[in-house]
Amino acid sequence: MLRHLSRETRFLAKDRGAVFWLLLAFVLSVVAVSFGIAEVREQRETIATLIEEDAADRSNALEGQEDWGSAAYYAFHLTYAPPSDFAFAAMGQRDSSSWKHRVRMLALEGQIHEADTRNADFGLVGRFDFAFLAASVAPLLLILLLYDLRASERTMRRHDLLVATAGSSRSLWLPRALVRVTALALLLLMPLWVGSTIEGTAASLTLQASGIVIGSLLIWWLIVELVSRIDASPSILLTSLIGLWLAIAILVPAVSKAVIEAANPVPDGGEILLLQRETVNDAWDLPKEATMDPFVERHPEYADHSEIGEEGFEWKWYYAFQQVGDQVVEPLATQYREARLARDKQAGVAAWASPTSLVERAFEKLAGTDARSMIAYEDRVRDYHRELRAFYYPLMFPEEPFDEELLSGLPAFTPTS
Amino acid sequence: MTSPLEARSLSLVREGNTVLDGVSFTVAKGEIFALLGGNGAGKSSTLLTFLGFLDPSGGEVLVNGKSVGSDVAGARNSIAYLPEAASLYGHLTAYENLDYFLDLAGKSASKDQINVALDRVALPQEARTRRLQSYSKGMRQKTAIALALLRETPILLLDEPTSGLDPVAIDEFHDLVKALAEGGQTVLMVTHDVYGACQVADRVGLLRHGKLVGSFAAEKGQRIDTETVHAAFAGRPHFQTDAA
Amino acid sequence: MSTVLRIAREEWRLWLRSKVVVAAALIVAVLLAATSVLTVNRVAEEQSQRIEQQIAAEQTFFAQPDRHPHRMVHYGHYAFRPPPPLAVFEPGVDAVTGQSIFLEGHRQNTAMFADTKAAADLGGFASLTPAILYQLLLPLLLIVLGHAMFLRERESGTLAVMLAQGQSGTKLALGKAAALLAVIAIFMIPLIGVAAYSVSLGESALAATSLVAGYFLYLCIWGGIVLAASILLKQRAVSLGALIFVWLFAALIVPRFAINASSAVIDAPGKIESDLVMLAEQRKLGDGHNAADPAFMQLQAQVLEEYGVETIEELPINWRGVVASYSEAELTELLNSYADKRMELEASQSHLFGLFGFASPTIAISSASRTLSGTDLATHHRFLRESEDLRFGFVQALNEKHATDLDYTADINRNNGEEASRAARINANAWQVLDEFRFEPDSAVQRMDRAMPSLGILIAWLIAASGVVYLASRKVRL
Repeated sequence: MLRHLSRETRFLAKDRGAVFWLLLAFVLSVVAVSFGIAEVREQRETIATLIEEDAADRSNALEGQEDWGSAAYYAFHLTYAPPSDFAFAAMGQRDSSSWKHRVRMLALEGQIHEADTRNADFGLVGRFDFAFLAASVAPLLLILLLYDLRASERTMRRHDLLVATAGSSRSLWLPRALVRVTALALLLLMPLWVGSTIEGTAASLTLQASGIVIGSLLIWWLIVELVSRIDASPSILLTSLIGLWLAIAILVPAVSKAVIEAANPVPDGGEILLLQRETVNDAWDLPKEATMDPFVERHPEYADHSEIGEEGFEWKWYYAFQQVGDQVVEPLATQYREARLARDKQAGVAAWASPTSLVERAFEKLAGTDARSMIAYEDRVRDYHRELRAFYYPLMFPEEPFDEELLSGLPAFTPTS
Repeated sequence: MTSPLEARSLSLVREGNTVLDGVSFTVAKGEIFALLGGNGAGKSSTLLTFLGFLDPSGGEVLVNGKSVGSDVAGARNSIAYLPEAASLYGHLTAYENLDYFLDLAGKSASKDQINVALDRVALPQEARTRRLQSYSKGMRQKTAIALALLRETPILLLDEPTSGLDPVAIDEFHDLVKALAEGGQTVLMVTHDVYGACQVADRVGLLRHGKLVGSFAAEKGQRIDTETVHAAFAGRPHFQTDAA
Repeated sequence: MSTVLRIAREEWRLWLRSKVVVAAALIVAVLLAATSVLTVNRVAEEQSQRIEQQIAAEQTFFAQPDRHPHRMVHYGHYAFRPPPPLAVFEPGVDAVTGQSIFLEGHRQNTAMFADTKAAADLGGFASLTPAILYQLLLPLLLIVLGHAMFLRERESGTLAVMLAQGQSGTKLALGKAAALLAVIAIFMIPLIGVAAYSVSLGESALAATSLVAGYFLYLCIWGGIVLAASILLKQRAVSLGALIFVWLFAALIVPRFAINASSAVIDAPGKIESDLVMLAEQRKLGDGHNAADPAFMQLQAQVLEEYGVETIEELPINWRGVVASYSEAELTELLNSYADKRMELEASQSHLFGLFGFASPTIAISSASRTLSGTDLATHHRFLRESEDLRFGFVQALNEKHATDLDYTADINRNNGEEASRAARINANAWQVLDEFRFEPDSAVQRMDRAMPSLGILIAWLIAASGVVYLASRKVRL
């Protein structure tokens, strides 16, 4: 076998068409990886700047505050999900879900759905990252490398001579295709390996990613192999293969997506906000108990401190109705979260019908940029917001005297790694 | 002693058409056997069954006494095949082509050995490092024959080897084939060139509509009579009575 | 002329006899029909839903009871952007941006709940829309049909016969071009249908026609590229491979590369980032809720002098309302300057992206298509600006009511019990200050203006492609 492989490697090196496609794969991979690394670095820099400015802004905001309520009102806290060390290969949902927020102790539902805007034109087209290259473009390149292995020899009337000389077709077509597939895989993966080294990605992750790329190439090789056994002209073969690619890479995902989204309706985001705002706004006009009762139900420990005087404005009451606003939309918000998870779960199943989707989803999972990770980040923000309340409530409700010193003990957001 | 090549009542049906119908012949070691026939007589199909590309619908073909169906790789291993208008790779030089195809056949040859073979087929020295796409048809054919020589197989199958060659090249080619047969190689060639077949072959078989309808052998030290074969090929009445 | 038609007819006969071609064309036709119907339904539903939501939001606002006017400032309002009629063909950026925005005092919110955030993630490609099919799939169909058009004549030897009969290469190329043109014309029918439907929904005929013309141009460019390849290249498989490569580049690689490149070249900071910078500045302006903030002392002196009184209590208007109005105006100016900067950066990113149209006609047509349909970034930006005007308008109108309709003393005592709180309210009739908001697409002429650069790039492409075809066909030898 080794002899066959070295022969076919020498042969491949002289095939200008094939060398062109292989070089193209390499160049595209270098481009995808370097853009990915640049983007990830920029995101890290942004986060670093934000952390700094956020701290400065907060200390500025807290300076000279005279009660707990104003402190909580004016102090924003940065939350963020830093890109993983493999995110350069698949930006995934980081492009459509936000990965940074500044929250304060007001109703969270009014804050967590804010999107940090990104050029809308860009979200429309999508990014050229390694995952896209490996999932969608690499199969096309593989098709172009392999579709006419047999058919072109047939057109050149060389097929029979080749097979008669080789004795069996196995010592000819298999090494010839294998060399091309291997070369394609190596040229695609080498930039990824370099990128992983630069980014310090765990070897096991890189290994899994490489396995995914190789696996997908093998699947596509099988598809090409089956189709190209048909005794048809090279152009008909290529046409059929491109058709298959279109079906697998574009149609199947688009149809599954439409079906999944229709089957799992997501509550209208506007409704969540509307309900939350109405609740918070109506609270101003309602008797104070209407707010404090549901609040105490959630926080019985403050039952003794829930008396709100009829006169004057009390922060306790203000934050209580912020919390009640969140409580009221909880079912809707949960439904929204569950529906997103359900959609993602079903998309994971549907992806088995399309190697393209499967590869892209697998990469996003490895890179921590899949829908699940983005939802996990939102959960992290919710936890943090809870910590904030847990910090202020025991000071605010029993009306502990304001002590600026204590504010240094404010919970700090730590991203999950 | 078994014959290197033997067809036993070989029949072949392709897409409902009878291509070969009970063809039997043997080719002895060192013999040149030419199958002569018009377009669609089934000549090339006969060669392809010996190579295992086509499976007989009836009868069998044997290479060195073994049925091709039972050992395709073994059969192909002992056969060098020269297809009609053999085209090697245009983007490779003669050296590179020979190197590649020999490797494919599981053989290796030194540059000297390759040069000896190319000398035998008279491919000009300067052309050997040029790509084949710049070659004339004759030069390409010579390179393909050099491949057949280098493989040193006991059997040589030739499909219309002289079509498209000029008269000088044809003569050179015929001399080469005769020399090979004298060296002990068994040659089966198919052609529609009556003159060429009679000039080079020890025996000529006439194939018509898939049937072997006649056979002509050369007498010791003489060539087969072209006129007789030509008359038979053209289907003139006196031949049919002769054959019957 | 008749020879040209004759050649075209021959080509058609050949296509109709090829199973592959017929199958490919049928599949594309079915896909086009199915996506068109689905998108038309979806967008029509969204449109009526958005308009209903907009009306409902206004009615809820009007129906609010008597209140303190500043409460209504925080109660806020919603602006919805219904999809324009041509969105049935090209939904554009709508799915990415979110189509509703919450408007309240002291804040500019972003449009929320973009569909893509909750979308089922199946990787790479956006959902299928008729526009995407026209941009990606039809060029492929033209490639399948046309890659061998000319070189087939060469392969089969008929080219020699034709040239020997005195036909020129250009005439032959013209015949082939006519055959392709007929295909393009046939596949324009679904688009024309959708465009006509959008006109019936109230779209301007000019915009709809330009959209059809833009796509016609685009497909003709591909026809030219395909024809050129089939003249210049000598082998079918090579021609098909080269064309697939061009398609891969123009349709998949260059657009995404252009995204990476233009976001790397022009850095548009996110909202949080620019908000932080702004917050620092905003702190200098003072808090509009706190009229005693030292930042308002200067304003106070000025207003007192204007009315010729000594204390704010003596003012005929409510000082707190004046402060609210003043600080809202200051803040809005600041917010707008940042928002404008951000939008400008985004617009220049998109402009740079548009220039990549010179490298890929697919970019040019997609920009033109979004612009002409009124689903482009510029329209979204206008929506943001108009909804900001709406926001500023009702907030300031409420602040004015605050200053004129509510007594200052009653206002500062508003937290002193039920009675005092009731005294610090104004009549609900005042809520009528809210303007009715119906977001309308740009006029057809404006959209045309904006689409001109992209359409110009397409025309340049067409000229280049036909030029190559012409030169190549003139030089046709055997």
